[in-house]
Amino acid sequence: MWVIPMRSKKIVRRKKRAITSMRFTSIRWIVFASVACLAWGVAASDWPEFRGSLGRGVAQGDAIRMRWSESDGIAWKAALPGRGASSPIVVGDLVVVTASSGARQDRLHILALDKSTGHIRWHRTFWATGRTLCHPTSAVAAGTPASDGTRIVAIYSSCDLFAVDMAGRLLWQRNLAVEHPRSGNDVGMAASPRIIDGTVVVQIDCQGDAFAAGIDAVTGEDRWSVSREKIASWSSPLAISVPQRGGREKSECVLLQNPSGLELRQAADGQLVWSWKGVCESIPMAAAMGNSLYVPHEGIAAVTAATGDTKPVWRSTKLSCGIASPLAWGDWVACINRAGVLSIGNASDGLLRGQVRLTGPFWASPILAGTTILAVNQSGKAFVVSTDDEPKILAENELPGTFTATPAVADGSVYLRSETALWKVSPQ
Amino acid sequence: MQSTMILPRLPVVISLGFAIACGVLVVPASRAESLPPQSVREAVAICCELAHAAGSDRQSKLAVMTDSISSLPAAWIVPCLSAFAAATPAGSNWLRSGLDRAVDRLGDSVPVDELAAFVGDATQTPRARSLAFVWIKAWDGARAAALLDSMIDDPSLDLRREAVEKLLMSVAQASEATQRDAYRRGLASASDVDQIERIVAWLSEHGEQMDVATVLGFVRNWRVSKAFDNAQGVGFAKAYPPEAKDGCAADTTGWKTVESADKHGGIDLNAAVELKKGVLAYAVATVEMPHAGPAEVRIGSPCAVAVWVNGKPVMAHEIYHSSEAIDQYVATADFQTGGNTVMVKCCQNEQTDPWAVDWKFQLRICNAFGKPLATQKKNVGDSDAE
Repeated sequence: MWVIPMRSKKIVRRKKRAITSMRFTSIRWIVFASVACLAWGVAASDWPEFRGSLGRGVAQGDAIRMRWSESDGIAWKAALPGRGASSPIVVGDLVVVTASSGARQDRLHILALDKSTGHIRWHRTFWATGRTLCHPTSAVAAGTPASDGTRIVAIYSSCDLFAVDMAGRLLWQRNLAVEHPRSGNDVGMAASPRIIDGTVVVQIDCQGDAFAAGIDAVTGEDRWSVSREKIASWSSPLAISVPQRGGREKSECVLLQNPSGLELRQAADGQLVWSWKGVCESIPMAAAMGNSLYVPHEGIAAVTAATGDTKPVWRSTKLSCGIASPLAWGDWVACINRAGVLSIGNASDGLLRGQVRLTGPFWASPILAGTTILAVNQSGKAFVVSTDDEPKILAENELPGTFTATPAVADGSVYLRSETALWKVSPQ
Repeated sequence: MQSTMILPRLPVVISLGFAIACGVLVVPASRAESLPPQSVREAVAICCELAHAAGSDRQSKLAVMTDSISSLPAAWIVPCLSAFAAATPAGSNWLRSGLDRAVDRLGDSVPVDELAAFVGDATQTPRARSLAFVWIKAWDGARAAALLDSMIDDPSLDLRREAVEKLLMSVAQASEATQRDAYRRGLASASDVDQIERIVAWLSEHGEQMDVATVLGFVRNWRVSKAFDNAQGVGFAKAYPPEAKDGCAADTTGWKTVESADKHGGIDLNAAVELKKGVLAYAVATVEMPHAGPAEVRIGSPCAVAVWVNGKPVMAHEIYHSSEAIDQYVATADFQTGGNTVMVKCCQNEQTDPWAVDWKFQLRICNAFGKPLATQKKNVGDSDAE
């Protein structure tokens, strides 16, 4: 049995100490993320994949604008050629977003827009080769594209994976549902690809031909492929650096989550590092920070990334995830439950620090921008929430449309994607 | 002396050398080989090679070939579209990526007249015509719209849909009688379920006696078996007596007769058999086909399903509660003129979630345009109906 730490009288003192230490931890984190980004070919100010650099959901740099509306604080709005639930990514001077269109949603789009003007720089369209049925709340373009600064990889519910260069030239494609005929599901596949050290990791969890693969980012050929349990999951792979046993070298790994547990695999060759059994949520993905994973598992469970110890460091049912993934930064963990309550707890022991009731439902995951949390609900209301002693709503901003995509933040600008449009919120 | 002059500049020299080396390295040798085709014949040959692409091999070569065709002159675009005729799924995308880039580059020089003639030629590959239509629409929307007037029965489902949509839009301000004629004409041609439903809704609101299930041609009269065990999903792969006679119709003596009154022809097995988890049931229907030959069997179900036609297996999908849709699974089967027996095996699992209660299916038999082919006269074993 796992032990759930109880709230103690020392909480207030602990909070004060924690707030102070948060600053230093954040600085360490920012330095680490910056170095990692530069090593992987993207700038630290980019937002190159689902939930930003390394999938951490943490925006570096300036704080974002506090208030905006359709008529105020919007740098530009771009109509998209089809539907989508995928997040935009920001790489260099491009904002890249995917969509699908057509009566059968079988036209797959990748658009690159000028970050400054919102004008379309290039637009590529492909045909789906796999199934394109999906639940109305999802979309064929549900997985967020990823970039290493040299190329962009985009995946769709049809299990089609395309790699294009920064000018939109098709470099390679993988029609994964052709190669694995029973892959995919009709709710809609939504896991985003992750580029880790030159390997594009895809996670195809479904009741049919479930598998994960590491694909050479340059050639499009398999580096590895492993079968997965035949169970549906919508969480995305997560990049994790794990210290190698007995040495100071780190090994680039990928965390794969499904409702039966976790697997940590070497990104380069797919070799299993550890597996962890336990009922995990099927949609929100784990958050990572340092050597800790914060896993949506009967609330949130903290698991040691290096070892995947069977016994979590802590577990809290007061920190509960709905659809949105948890967020970890500094000394804190935050999550939004199905009732729309944003909870913040200690990363070290899971003790609840504070809560604030937002208005849901939330499909988009919360992100940290400067010292505030940005959470966007399905109807386009964006809550800016403080992260100081007690979380409170600092601003509520609304845009029209249906929003299921997690926002992107780069250079203090927020990129919000509704089902059919992309908005850039100006920096403050 | 010389060395003392060079030394202060050494970092600059090293940096310059490094930059030149990087510059050489980052330009792939293959890019240098992407020469424009020298003739239309060569261009078509490159397109045909792209169209045959399959698997993950040789992709860097294919990328270079798309560079080559992205530089095509305007006059060669239409001849190259012929390569779609034999394209694999991957090949279609390679081909499109190169030709889209060529069209982007050509801008106002896009050969609209030649493309319009190509779109109007219904003998060409539907996908290539649809792509050409998209290009025309981007540069000359009015020209594209004019093309649709003759495409209401087009073999391209995309073009047919747009033509029906245009027809309906064109009568939006017309008299009810004119609208009614247009909607009836649209219904005769429409193949997409959502478009058909909209048309049927309009006609129903305006006094026409019709229902979606009839228009879509769902098979509504079935004979349904008792429940068989499917605990832990074991029943899906197990051949219970109804499917044991390979090539022969199941004996449905004692089975229950069920007629669907559902808008989408659904057969609710919770109501017809029993509300129970971890079970499966068989359903058999006799359908009349006007001609012998292949036809599409289209089934939708939130549960695991398998289908037989005249005792021969057609398809099997062991997927539980992963959404459902009309025409969710489609497979082609051979039918004979007159009576044919269709059998469905529908399996319920043991999930306890409130959204995993449904145990049902709907099925129709169509041509490639979604037009129903089968009719029903009489159920198998009607004389034994309970």
